[in-house]
Amino acid sequence: MTYLRRRLGLFLVTLWAALTINFALPRLMPGNEAQAVLATLHGVNPAALHALEIEFGVNVHQNIILTYLQYLGNCFTGQLGVDHYGIPVVTALLQALPWTLGLVGIATVLAFLIGTLVGILTAWRRGGRMDAFLPPLLFIVSSFPIFFMGLILILIFGVMLNWLPIGGNYSLDATPSLSLPFIGDVITHAILPGATLVVVTAGLWIFSMRNNMITTLAEDYVKMGRAKGLAPWRIMLDYAARNAILPNLTGFAMQLGFVLGGAILVEYTFSYPGLGYLFYTSTTLHDLPMMQGLFLFYTMAVLVCVLAADLVTALVDPRTRDA
Amino acid sequence: MRTPTWGRAPTPFAAARPRSHRKLVMLLAGTATLLAACGGTTSAGSSTASSSKVGGKLVIDSYMGTTWPCTFNPFNPALNFLSVGFTYEPLEYINDLQTTSSGSSQVEPWLATSSAWSNNYETLTFTIRNGVKWTDGQSFSAADVAYTFNAMATSPALDLNALWKADGGPLTAVTTQGADQVVFTFATAAQTYFYYVADQVPIVPAHIWSTLDQTKLATYADSNPVGTGPYKVGSCSEANVKYVRNPDYWQSTAANPVPRIAEVDYPSFLGNDQANLYLTEGQAQWGAQPVPNMKTAYLDKGPDRYMWFPPVLNVGIFPNLNNPLLSNVAVRQAISLALDRSDIATRGESGYEPAASQTGIITPTYSSWYDKSIDDTAYDPAKAEQVLEAAGFTKGSNGIFQNAQGQALSFTLQTVSGFSDWDASLVIVTQELKAAGIQVTVDDENSGPYTTNLETGNFQLAYAGSGGPYTQGGPTPYYELRGDLDSSNIGGTNYSRYDSAATDALFNEYAATTDVSQQQKIIDQIEQVMVTDYPFIPVTEGVDWYTYDASKIGGWPTASDPYAQPAVYAPMEDNGVILDHLYPVN
Repeated sequence: MTYLRRRLGLFLVTLWAALTINFALPRLMPGNEAQAVLATLHGVNPAALHALEIEFGVNVHQNIILTYLQYLGNCFTGQLGVDHYGIPVVTALLQALPWTLGLVGIATVLAFLIGTLVGILTAWRRGGRMDAFLPPLLFIVSSFPIFFMGLILILIFGVMLNWLPIGGNYSLDATPSLSLPFIGDVITHAILPGATLVVVTAGLWIFSMRNNMITTLAEDYVKMGRAKGLAPWRIMLDYAARNAILPNLTGFAMQLGFVLGGAILVEYTFSYPGLGYLFYTSTTLHDLPMMQGLFLFYTMAVLVCVLAADLVTALVDPRTRDA
Repeated sequence: MRTPTWGRAPTPFAAARPRSHRKLVMLLAGTATLLAACGGTTSAGSSTASSSKVGGKLVIDSYMGTTWPCTFNPFNPALNFLSVGFTYEPLEYINDLQTTSSGSSQVEPWLATSSAWSNNYETLTFTIRNGVKWTDGQSFSAADVAYTFNAMATSPALDLNALWKADGGPLTAVTTQGADQVVFTFATAAQTYFYYVADQVPIVPAHIWSTLDQTKLATYADSNPVGTGPYKVGSCSEANVKYVRNPDYWQSTAANPVPRIAEVDYPSFLGNDQANLYLTEGQAQWGAQPVPNMKTAYLDKGPDRYMWFPPVLNVGIFPNLNNPLLSNVAVRQAISLALDRSDIATRGESGYEPAASQTGIITPTYSSWYDKSIDDTAYDPAKAEQVLEAAGFTKGSNGIFQNAQGQALSFTLQTVSGFSDWDASLVIVTQELKAAGIQVTVDDENSGPYTTNLETGNFQLAYAGSGGPYTQGGPTPYYELRGDLDSSNIGGTNYSRYDSAATDALFNEYAATTDVSQQQKIIDQIEQVMVTDYPFIPVTEGVDWYTYDASKIGGWPTASDPYAQPAVYAPMEDNGVILDHLYPVN
């Protein structure tokens, strides 16, 4: 119980710190935000700047403490303001969210599963043929910059072979619906960016899982399992993997939190309109309300996932509960 | 001027501006540039194609770097390029690319059939067209016009051109008169504001907009826009806006069912590559960016593809006149003499943007305003050095000039990041200035800080387009030059911070007369100021980016028939005019 209370307390303190940094950071960027908004608009007479400041709510003439307190309040009521297109930030976030959750979420889970499985198998048969090829190969591949991998895949599959579309989340003349052809269209567009993500991130899971497994395999209880005459796959999974996976679980939970950050480079390379792409555009356009909204989403997601990871670890591993 | 990958930040664009014989005969001109256009028959003129067939589909290709939020508020400057011209229309149409032989601009009656100034250009009366219907079936009337302008007074965020007195303009009242007239009252002679009032304000339906919260009109989403224009929004998703033709469009007749293209698609592109690919593969017809390697990548890949980049605004070096070294006119003159503008235009801008003139007049667009005898633009690095030496500068051991106090002519030059053609031009600029003894270091900034620095004067030299990356030109050079040179625009578009009472007086004189020959004399004097004082140094002429594929759709504006400005990303009525002209081929 004290563990739970302590963790929750820590969560709240970290959340407050994150919100405060979220508030301060965009305001430290050079440039006046109202003029930055004007910079992106089309042919507007600068004499109308004042009117536009009102429209987009970038009225910068307010006391900073007051703004800060309003900001904290707004965070909890979900009032994240209006972006510089005049669209409520929440609407834009919710529009982009499913695409990021879908693409990056599924890719993260797949990468974890594939990486972990390969890690378990290669550690179990250490020195075998699979162990000789797979880990080094995947390690090299995963050290490619992710946008480079993306561009290579676009070049090969999109341009040269013309098998897959080069970008976007669905065909430009498709109308979104829950019909099978549309879902097929979405999946076709998600294959390349998804593959980029999986290929680059799986390598990291393989190595950490493999190393954890190797250490665990040296443990006494594994020897005990063998001595008991249990089937090898049973020892591999129930005894060794179950313990080896614990550090990775926390890592994986954090990765899930990072999903909402949206794999910016992948979304930019493939013009995928998810949260990562929003991050990119809001930063280059100095779109303050959008940046704040995105940072909020992102930090909340990571913090919640870390908390969840801690709780799951406490559940799965009784040893941590007394800590 | 807008330059996509070719220089363009993800969302922004620059604009540029290209008539139908269909559109009847242009009215008088003779008198004042912006005098009342006599009412005439409107539109529905002879069709250029033989049949009155309606059909086909137009796909627009313009990379805006955002998915569509499906809002169509014509007063939202971030997104109104989706609705102005398509669904919303202004009172009269003024084509920036064409002037009559006497130099006055072409004015075409649109939602107003005629207009007249009175009271020494302080009262402007429009007669509103009868028989126009909104797309929801209700009748359009003078009351809608009065409502639109008065809404700009109650909700200042709508007043994008700062027309009302409260926003710094001359407009004091807008009322209806009789059944079909609207009277505008100005505090001072306002003939130069005719352009904004008649051509730049989209008219919205009072019966819908007056029911909304009048203080929040600027953020009204307007997802199902009701307008008078040739198209209605059929459906909208984040990836595409589908416009369908308005069968009750006021210009449509049995003989000529305008618009003749049945459907228009406006897809959203997040990346330049996608947009370019769509264009080169022939999936879009109306393009808005220069594809790299235009000839091989785009033009040669289809049977009927063309590009036309009409020049509209100056792009050049703006010196900060508050800088002690740059305040010396000899330095500015030397910079102008040291630049080989045609070389920069050819190598830096791939020949797409013509070389600019130091007079600041864009040709051929404003040829009737250009006085060749005043133009002394020349590439003469030897003379540049002479000018500097005569002003007391001496060349240091490193080849850079310095003044008597030992201060070297070494400056930073700010440009906006993402405009790769500007970057290419600046490489040449740097080399040529160095050869003449002036050292320049190029500093790339993101568009936000860049614009802020321009407006606050936090720079030494800046490479910029007149008025900023997204400005339109205007029907005469007055609008651009006033933005660059009038002291009231310091802190806005007068980046150099040029402050001359004599020049301000010239602009005021222009605004007080509608006699075109008088106006031209005044512009000649402004040209003289440009070549004597060098308040800024134009390098190339920024253009409207425009390509078109005529294999399935005809009626496009061309260099020989510049009936409208062809930049689809500019939120102007020109888009609507072009849509009214297009017709399906075979």
